Amino acid sequence: MGCLLLLVALGCSKQEPQAPPPETKRAASVYAVNYPLAYFAERLAPEGIEVVFPAPPNVDPAFWKPTPDTIGQYQRAGLILLNGAGYARWTRYATLPKSRIVVTAEGCRDELLQTGEAIAHQHGPGGEHSHQGTAFTTWLDMRLALCQASHIRDALVELTPANADAIHAKLDALQADLTQLDIRVRGAADAWGDQPMLASHPVYQYLADAYGLRIESVHFEPDQALGPKDIEELESLVARHPAKLMLFEAEPLPETKRLLRDQGIATVVFDPAAQPPNDGDFLSVMTGNTSRLACATGAEACP
Amino acid sequence: MNDSLYLAWRYLSHHRAKTLLLVLSLSVFLGLPLVMRAMSAVIQQSLMARAQSTPLLLGKKGSSLDLVVEALYFQPKGIEALTASDADEIDGTGLAQAIPVRTGLLARQFPVVGTSLDYFSFRGLRIAEGRALGTLGECVVGAEVATTLGLEPGDSLLTSPSTLFDLAGVYPLKLRVVGTLEPSYAPDDRTVFVDVKTAWVAEGLGHGHQDLATASGDVVLKRKDGAVTANAKLVQYNEITTENADGFHFHGAPSSYPVSAVIVVPNDIKAGVLLRGRFVGDDARQLLRPAQVVQGLNAQIFRFERVLRIIVWTVGLATALMFVLVMVLSWRLRADELRTMTRLGCSRWKAVQIMGAEVFLMVGTSVALAAFLGLAITHYGETWLQNLVLRGS
Repeated sequence: MGCLLLLVALGCSKQEPQAPPPETKRAASVYAVNYPLAYFAERLAPEGIEVVFPAPPNVDPAFWKPTPDTIGQYQRAGLILLNGAGYARWTRYATLPKSRIVVTAEGCRDELLQTGEAIAHQHGPGGEHSHQGTAFTTWLDMRLALCQASHIRDALVELTPANADAIHAKLDALQADLTQLDIRVRGAADAWGDQPMLASHPVYQYLADAYGLRIESVHFEPDQALGPKDIEELESLVARHPAKLMLFEAEPLPETKRLLRDQGIATVVFDPAAQPPNDGDFLSVMTGNTSRLACATGAEACP
Repeated sequence: MNDSLYLAWRYLSHHRAKTLLLVLSLSVFLGLPLVMRAMSAVIQQSLMARAQSTPLLLGKKGSSLDLVVEALYFQPKGIEALTASDADEIDGTGLAQAIPVRTGLLARQFPVVGTSLDYFSFRGLRIAEGRALGTLGECVVGAEVATTLGLEPGDSLLTSPSTLFDLAGVYPLKLRVVGTLEPSYAPDDRTVFVDVKTAWVAEGLGHGHQDLATASGDVVLKRKDGAVTANAKLVQYNEITTENADGFHFHGAPSSYPVSAVIVVPNDIKAGVLLRGRFVGDDARQLLRPAQVVQGLNAQIFRFERVLRIIVWTVGLATALMFVLVMVLSWRLRADELRTMTRLGCSRWKAVQIMGAEVFLMVGTSVALAAFLGLAITHYGETWLQNLVLRGS
């Protein structure tokens, strides 16, 4: 009886319910879904924070399917850096702790770009719908990349408030590098003007949009020779979009270069750097991309 | 004294039926108040503990008790749903963490609850075997679900169709069991947990089907201007696997999808107060303190218990009188037996001792039985009692 009265007395007390004690911040590991985000995090993270990008080499992180164990590693991370814009399709069906997710491209643009490759379909009572893709190579617009980096900065400051000043200072340095790249890419694009340009893959939407480039894309693999169908597609495209320059994600085969040269099209490697390079880092890859583009467009002297 | 106890024991074991009847009557008389008190304490304690560990709960305006019962104890009450954007709104304030809870589905009579990974750390639920939820289509089952259904990681579980006779309705979704939880002695033990997105798929809000771009002609009704219309032959997946997970999709903005309630965990007391202030004038939603609601429920239980106690004591008094009557009549009937004992040299005091020992043995056994019943209810009947109370509330 006494026990019951005590319980009721407790139940009647006016004490505010307390939130459970905040979870101790996980010893810091930051997991990213692509290399550019991992690079930004590495540049900004204070010492003691491990930045991990677990995708194996030679796979496109956008279409990579991690194993349950790898998803478990993401779940245990202190921060999970997503690109946003539908990048890394696996994150749509994976269970990730929402409280530790940072969608870096969120809020960086009013509207994301579409890939323009959609098949609308209808089945059942739900009406017609399509799965039009969203363009996701956001970091090729250097200003967008900087916005993404600033979101990473905010998350890192929240994770390790004691390092706020150092993290802010590191972003300033990264901002200087990205701004420099932005100026050079813009210069290259201005030199090219509104002349048409081609791309071997539809991954340059944000580059084109940010710097005013008129890019049309095909689906050529740099390490595969062009077949008759590819050539036919190219000829029909060039007929309505007479481009003199074509961007490739990696160095194309010599036959491909020769074939394109015969059509009057020069090739330029502009590596989106979704995976870490064998040598150097994101900045050196982007600097190389910019130099090659600036050389090809005549904006800068070729080395 | 030992010989008196021995003779009493021999007498009672000889008259088994009468002894058993008396012991059971006494046990019920003594046990009822004990069981009642244990029930009341257990229910109030466990209800209160869960409610107090949930700082705030966001739901649609309506019965606050139904909201708490469905969102915290997973007993279906048919509450109106919020949308995922309400959870996003809470997250967006930066004042609290929002944990969505989607109820309403069943799998072999156990509730299926869609939530986020944060729920597990919030409730302190730990994986006993297997791993945490990883992708769409996976489930983690509570300890009681695992034991009752004999489930372990690698097994599968079908969600129950919402309506049996609705042939055009949503097909059951085959869930893969990837983990079992350690017992928590709470409603979580009787629950199948899935990602909230999996719950939406099970409800028919998201689905996966064969690729229409490459589908054969007998599936496609028409293709026009980039639009494909499929017929009913289109294969829709009833299981989400590694191979087809990529093809599962939702139509419309996920922020408009339903969540039954949102558990709101403020960063601190001040944040909680600020949040509650923001919802004071909200016509469509309520942000409540579950502890306050459960206090109200406990008060009802307490009032009911008082009435019940009067009834129990009345019945108990009648039982006690009946016991005394049975004993007195029994002693009268045994007058010849007592006389024989006296003639054999037994003193009157010894005869009284033997009778007393009989009463002692019967009452002692009844007390032990009643105590055992009370303890068993306290220790093992918590979840069962909770369900009993909440289903009826």
